[in-house]
Formats: sequence, structure tokens, C-alpha cells
Amino acid sequence: MQLSYTHTFSLPREIVWKLIQNEDVLKTAIPGCKSFSRMDDGSYDVEMGLSVGPVKGVFTGQVQMTDQEEPSYYCLKVKGKGLPGEVDAVAHMHLDETENGAAVTCRMEVVVTGVLASVGQRVMGGVAKLVLGQFFKSADTEMRKLTSQV
Amino acid sequence: MASLIGSAVRRKEDPRLLTGNGCFTDDIKLTGMVHAAFLRSPHAHARIIRVDTEKARSLPGVTAVFTGLDLAGKMKAVPAMWFLPGCDLKPKDRPALATDKVRYAGEAVAVVIAENRYVARDALDLIEVDYEVLPAVVSQELAMQDDAALLHDDVPNNLALLWKAGEIPDEVFADAEVVVKQRLYNQRVIPSPMETRGAVAQYNPGSGEMTLWCTSQNPHIHRLIYADVLGIPETKLRIIAPDVGGGFGAKIATYTEEAVVACIAREIQKPVKWVEERKEHFMATSHGRDEVLEVELAGTKDGRITALRVTNTANLGAYLSTFGAGCPTIDFGLMVTGAYAIPQAAVVTYGVYTNTTPTDAYRGAGKPEATYQIERAIDLFADKIGMDPVEVRRINLVPNDAFPYNSAMGVTYDSGDYQKALDKALEIFDYEAFREEQKEQRQKGKYLGVGFSTYVELCGFGPSAVAGAIGFQGGVWENSTVRVHPGGTVTVFTGTSPHGQGTATTFCQIVAEKLGVPLSDVELVSGDTQSVSMGWGTYGSRATAVGGAAVSLATDRVIEKARKIAAHELETTVDQIEFIAGQFTVKGDLSRSRTIQQIARSANYAWNLPEGVEPALEGQSFFDPSNFVYPFGTHICVVEVDEGTGEVEIKRYIAVDDVGRVINPLLAEGQVHGGIAQGVGQALWEGAVYTEQGQLQSGTFMDYTMPKARFFPPIESAFTETLSPVNPLGAKGIGETGTTAAPPAVVNAVMDALKPFGVAALDMPLTPEKVWRAIRSGRDKE
Repeated sequence: MQLSYTHTFSLPREIVWKLIQNEDVLKTAIPGCKSFSRMDDGSYDVEMGLSVGPVKGVFTGQVQMTDQEEPSYYCLKVKGKGLPGEVDAVAHMHLDETENGAAVTCRMEVVVTGVLASVGQRVMGGVAKLVLGQFFKSADTEMRKLTSQV
Repeated sequence: MASLIGSAVRRKEDPRLLTGNGCFTDDIKLTGMVHAAFLRSPHAHARIIRVDTEKARSLPGVTAVFTGLDLAGKMKAVPAMWFLPGCDLKPKDRPALATDKVRYAGEAVAVVIAENRYVARDALDLIEVDYEVLPAVVSQELAMQDDAALLHDDVPNNLALLWKAGEIPDEVFADAEVVVKQRLYNQRVIPSPMETRGAVAQYNPGSGEMTLWCTSQNPHIHRLIYADVLGIPETKLRIIAPDVGGGFGAKIATYTEEAVVACIAREIQKPVKWVEERKEHFMATSHGRDEVLEVELAGTKDGRITALRVTNTANLGAYLSTFGAGCPTIDFGLMVTGAYAIPQAAVVTYGVYTNTTPTDAYRGAGKPEATYQIERAIDLFADKIGMDPVEVRRINLVPNDAFPYNSAMGVTYDSGDYQKALDKALEIFDYEAFREEQKEQRQKGKYLGVGFSTYVELCGFGPSAVAGAIGFQGGVWENSTVRVHPGGTVTVFTGTSPHGQGTATTFCQIVAEKLGVPLSDVELVSGDTQSVSMGWGTYGSRATAVGGAAVSLATDRVIEKARKIAAHELETTVDQIEFIAGQFTVKGDLSRSRTIQQIARSANYAWNLPEGVEPALEGQSFFDPSNFVYPFGTHICVVEVDEGTGEVEIKRYIAVDDVGRVINPLLAEGQVHGGIAQGVGQALWEGAVYTEQGQLQSGTFMDYTMPKARFFPPIESAFTETLSPVNPLGAKGIGETGTTAAPPAVVNAVMDALKPFGVAALDMPLTPEKVWRAIRSGRDKE
């Protein structure tokens, strides 16, 4: 399944670049994030609880950010496992400058198994968009908080 | 008195079923019963590294958890029962639970036993399985390629079988006036009976006896296979198929879950129940069809078909299912020439293992696929030579004087009057008026189409010697006992175990008619291996033609014996006794008579029997038919295609079926309606969809479209009656005519409607999206 989502931040691209990979921002912005810890290899172990339609349950997985081309691109790899099935996603994150901020476009290729595949497929797109929307919205809020403190 | 045979009496089963007093497998409740739930693989192909059941075991309410390793040595893998010779068959049995590798998404890897279904289900979530995911292959054509993932190490190219029947030199096609070639995909469908599968097992550790209630179309086949799988002799293994809520072929197969439930009942010495969830059913119960058909038809410009060559690349799924090897070969191959006198024919079938749910018989099993290719090819041929599709059919239909007709595929069609059924259907339809209307409507931008299917199918398998020759590991005869009790009521026993057909009505009609007793005095016993000595079940439209014939012959034996007793009591000879409407009368002396009920009493009391006549009044017959039966007919479908949305509306559906003697027109029509709904379902809506990784996407009724009553106009059903010489009733099979005839009738109709757009071929299901795209690309070409 392929997905794409764009969110526009009213912050300069360089700031967004830094903060969107910031641990605190991620921890706050990932929907239902229960734990978020950095591993030795630079990846993160994540535990998140999701409840959207048939996509329900606790997912544990790894998140890795690679191929950074500051400040315009990085690759986000997500592997997750939960009761409804497994998720394997590769997201290409593009950061573009806009008139009064930065647009982050996420182009994602997702492979799922289990109930997610057999039952959730029809609603997966919608669920993913919702989750991504929540993520960016919370990230936005968190970033504003951090930048206003500075 | 009007004859009961041929009379539309209402179903004897219905007062019980409609008032909620049926007894299905899930209605079986035993003291101390525990419940099973299966953990299924989320991957289509993966190595099992580790299964940790510790947490699940410690959940309160959990009785036990078993993995494949836990069951090792306690039961065998479940084998298929159709080992087709001459095709290098590489059968792969289904393991009780997967141990080393899973080969399709939905394959069971562990089972939880708990005090109730809810705890069992919760405990599944606590089992941890580490998989090493392997590349999966879903398409049978890709699976045969050299670089494809291998399911079974010792099956190169995943090729389970390669079957060839007949040969035609290439010159025949090279020199032919006209050749039509077409690739068709008869897509995978999911049976979806109202009742999913289920099993309840009870073991008596004192006697070693096992009783297994399960959703079976053929309890004696389940006993035959499971006796070996479980190591329990047939004397101590009792299989009961109580009320069964539909099967469509999916309840023929002997799966692993039912045997696992029995094995565990013996292990833990407690009754165990398992009822399949609908979600499980989509993945774990056999699928049907999934055959890529490449057809090549040679003919003359004046419409005569001279040769037919078909290649079938069939998807068998991950393991060889019970009848899996037979459906795309014998069932399909022998019928490729359809109702037409085609002098030369040849078939090649590739049976391929893939990372999908195993496929097996599905209402029609091979015959719908055979009919689909020939009926589509005929229309393409008609198009190519510019002849009306009805005319091409008329020219090629097997003529009446050719019966019994030996087809190019080596089978003998028992009897037929194909033109008569076609004439009757056309008469109901008014073809000329339709073509006029079609022309007019097109000018108004309305696209009507008509499709024909002048089908014939093969059913009521027999004789058993043929079953042996084609590698079927069983017989195809049928058994019945007719027992007249002292009070004159009658119990009929049959080995054809019904699952919704109304057999209790039709079989009792046969007996009541022959014995001249009220229908309410006759009851049917079926579905219990302890009550019925032997039998082979209900599938392949065999119940009436084979089982009904056994019932009829057993009844004859009762009458024969009763006649002797009557003659003795009436002090005359047997040949002086007439038996009419339940009365034994001395010829020419109506005052000297006995009723069948009087004879029943005297036979059972045995106070005064003629010499050499044993007590009681009971007859048994084991009937092995001399040939298959070949029902046929003409189906006509009229559709309107919405140019804007691609939606197909069925405007009319006419079915003229010839199933030989019709025992009960009401039930016959019910079979016709249901079969057509299911056939149209395949043509327009149904289809199993997998991702390339082997994930079943059409895994719920939200994603898998079933036909619904409101999608249909009233079906115009009629019958012609050409008796079969193969059995004493003259009956043929009716259960599968609809799924056989309907798909090509519908697809031909849609293609006819789409002609103005230059669309020549589309694969089922003809969903609005597919049709809309075809219309659009047709327009782009203009």
C-alpha cells in the first residue's frame, strides 16, 4: 500500500529539520506512544497503542532514520509487530520550503500482515492518514512549544 | 391419488429448522466440555523459529496449549484421497499443526484449549511465535517459474501434477479455416456457507471409543480418513454430521482442525468443541476454482467446430486437499467439449502449489470451469465467423440420435435432448424481439446484452470401477436401508448425508410413493456412521441419482418381501398379488387384500410367515451406477450495462434445465435459484484477492461480495425431462447446474452488451470498475 501525506509547518525548514527528528518531539507526537528509547545503533525501540477500527492493540517495533540529506530529505524505516499483525513501512520524508514555513511530505510504502491485511486493508489508508495527521499535528504543537521557549 | 414423485410437497425439515429446533454442531453441548481456538499464521510463507506458549498456558481458564511438536506421534498428517494416476502426482499432506514452516496465511500453528471460547481466544494473543519470513508465491503461473519460491523442497517448480488427456497434431490447428484462441481466468472463490466449520469430540477412555460431531458432507469419508489419522479403528470411531448449514463442497474435505480436536479430546480426556469464526473460514476452509484456462478452438467458416485444445494451469494452494487433484483434471478435463459434438479434443492440466489456502471442490468442481471455457469460446468463434451464437450452438449440439454419445474425451453422455431445452428457453425468451429492442435501446444510449449457455455437466459419479481407475481412494456407490416398523411407519437410512438439500423430503417422497404410505409416516436417518452402515456423502450432485436410486431399490426389496407374506396370508401365489397404493390384492378379487401396514405387523410379529421368509420387514440396497449422469439445459441471461458506472444489471434470467426425473419441483427450483445466484456471484462479484506477499485481502464480507436476493430479477425456471437410463429413478443431478451454466451466460451477455465499445474479453468478476475501465479504453480507441 502506498500513502502520501503533507503537513505544512509555520517554522523555518532548518528548525523543522532539527525538531522532527528530535527525541522529545517524536515521543510526544507518536500517537499512543508508550515508550521510546534510543538503541546503541541509533535506532529507536517504540511501543505504541493504537485503536482505530480494526487496527487495535499494542504495537512494538523499531524506528530508524537514515539517508539524511540536510535539510531536505531523510528516510524513515518502521517495523512494527502487534496482535492485529505486522507492519513494515519505508517512508520518504521530503522537506520543502514554503512561503511562510516548511512543508513535510511523507511518501510511504507499507506492507502489512495478519488481521491488518485481511480485515483492515479497506480502512488502512484512512487509519494511516489519521495517524499521520495526529503525528504531524502533535509535532507541530510540540515544536511551537520548544521554539517559543528558546 | 396424485403421484408423490414429481409433486411439490413442502420440506419435511423446515418446521424443525424454521422454529429454531435444528441441531447443528454448535448446538452440541456436553458436560465438562472445553473449547478450542487455533492460532493461525499471519505469514504466507515463513519458517517457524520458536513458539512460546508459556504465557498462554498460565492464563486462568486455559486447560492446555498444543503446538505441532506437542502433537507429534499423537496423530498423523491428513492426506488427500484422490491420487490421480499418470500425472506424476506429488501429494503433500496437511500437517496437524505446522511445525517447521507455514505455507499459507491462516495455517494453524498452535491450539488453545480453555474453559470457554473467550478465554481460548484471549490466550491466542499470549502465544509468541518467531517467524523467519520467506518469499511467497501466490500466482500459479509465477510459481512454476525457475526462480519462484519453493513450498516443498522435493517438488520442483511447485508442480504437483501434470495431466494430459488426448492429443491433437498441430496441423489440425494450422490448417483450420478458423482458429479462436483465448486466455480466461476462472477466479478463486470462497465457498461461504451460512454455517462455518465446527467439531465436537468426545472420547471414552474406558472403551477407547471416539465420537466426533462435525460439519461434514460425508461422515463416512471422515471416518475412513480420520480412523487412520487418529489410529482409531472404524468400529470405535463414530462420526456424526448433525444438521449441516450448507457446504458447497467445502465440507467434503477432511481438514486438520476436526482431527486435532478429536486428538486433544483423547489427550485431555475431556469433550472439546471448536467452532470456526467467519474470519477463519475465509482463510482456513478450502477455496474453489482458481484456474487459468487457455483455450484454442478450430472450426469451419460455416460454423462447425472441428477441434478443441485446452491448457489449465490450476492453483492447488499450499497442500493437496481431499479432492484437490481431481477437480482441475478429471472433473474439468472430461467435460471440455461441453454439449457439442467436437471430434477432437485434448487437455493439459498443470496443478501447482502456491502460498495460498488449498483449493478443492466448489459447487460444480471443474465442470463450471470446463463450461466457462467452451461457452466463451463458442461466442468468440461465432463473433469471428459473423454467425449468431445460437446458430453456432445449434449446428454443434450433440444430436438426439447420437445418445448414448461417446465424447472425444472418452466419456459417454447417458441421454439428452439438447435442442429441446434450447427451443424451450428461446420460446420463453423471444429472441427476435430482444434483438430488435437491443438495437433500439443502443440508439438511446442503453446497452443491453444477451448471453447463452447451452451446458451439459457430469455428475452422480459411477461406477466405482471408474473411480478406482482415476485414483479416487473410495467407492462411489450408495447404500440405503428401508425399515418398516411393526406399526407401519417407515425409517429410511441413507449414506448420502445432506447439508441443506432437503433430502429428508425427496427420499421420503420416493419411499412413501412406492409403499403407498402417507409421507408423514416416513422419516430419514442420515449423517451418523453408527446408524448408517456405509455411504459416500453428498457432493457432485449424486444424492438423488445414486442415493435416491439406492432408496428406491431398497424399497423394492421391502415390497418384494411383503408380497410374499401377503400371498401367504391370502392363500395364493406371489404372482397373483397386485400391489397398488399400499394395498396387496389378489388379482380379480378386491375383497381379499392386506395393507402394507398389516403386513408390517405380521412380518415383525412373525407368527405366521411363509417358509424360507425371515422375520421383520426391511430392505437394503447397495447401488453402484453403471455410468455418470449428464444433466443439461439452456440458460439465457439478459443484462443492461450502465455506460456511466459500469454497473451490470440482470434484466432477465431464463433457465431451462433437464435433470431427468424431477422428484420435487419445489426443491428442484430451489436448487436452480441457489445455483444461479452462486454462479452469477462468481461472474459479477465474488473473487478472492491476495497481495503478492500472500495476504488475503478479501477476508471479510465487507471485502468479498456475496450475491443478494435484491440483485436478481425473478428467475424464469422451467424443466424438460429426459430420463437417465443409468438409475431406476431416471434422475440426473441438479445441485450444480446453476453454478455451471450461469457464469458464461452472464459473461457472454455482458460481452454482447459491450460490443459497441469494442470490448472482446474481460475476466470475472465483472465488477463495475472493470467494466467501466473497459468501456473507457474502448472509447479511447475510437
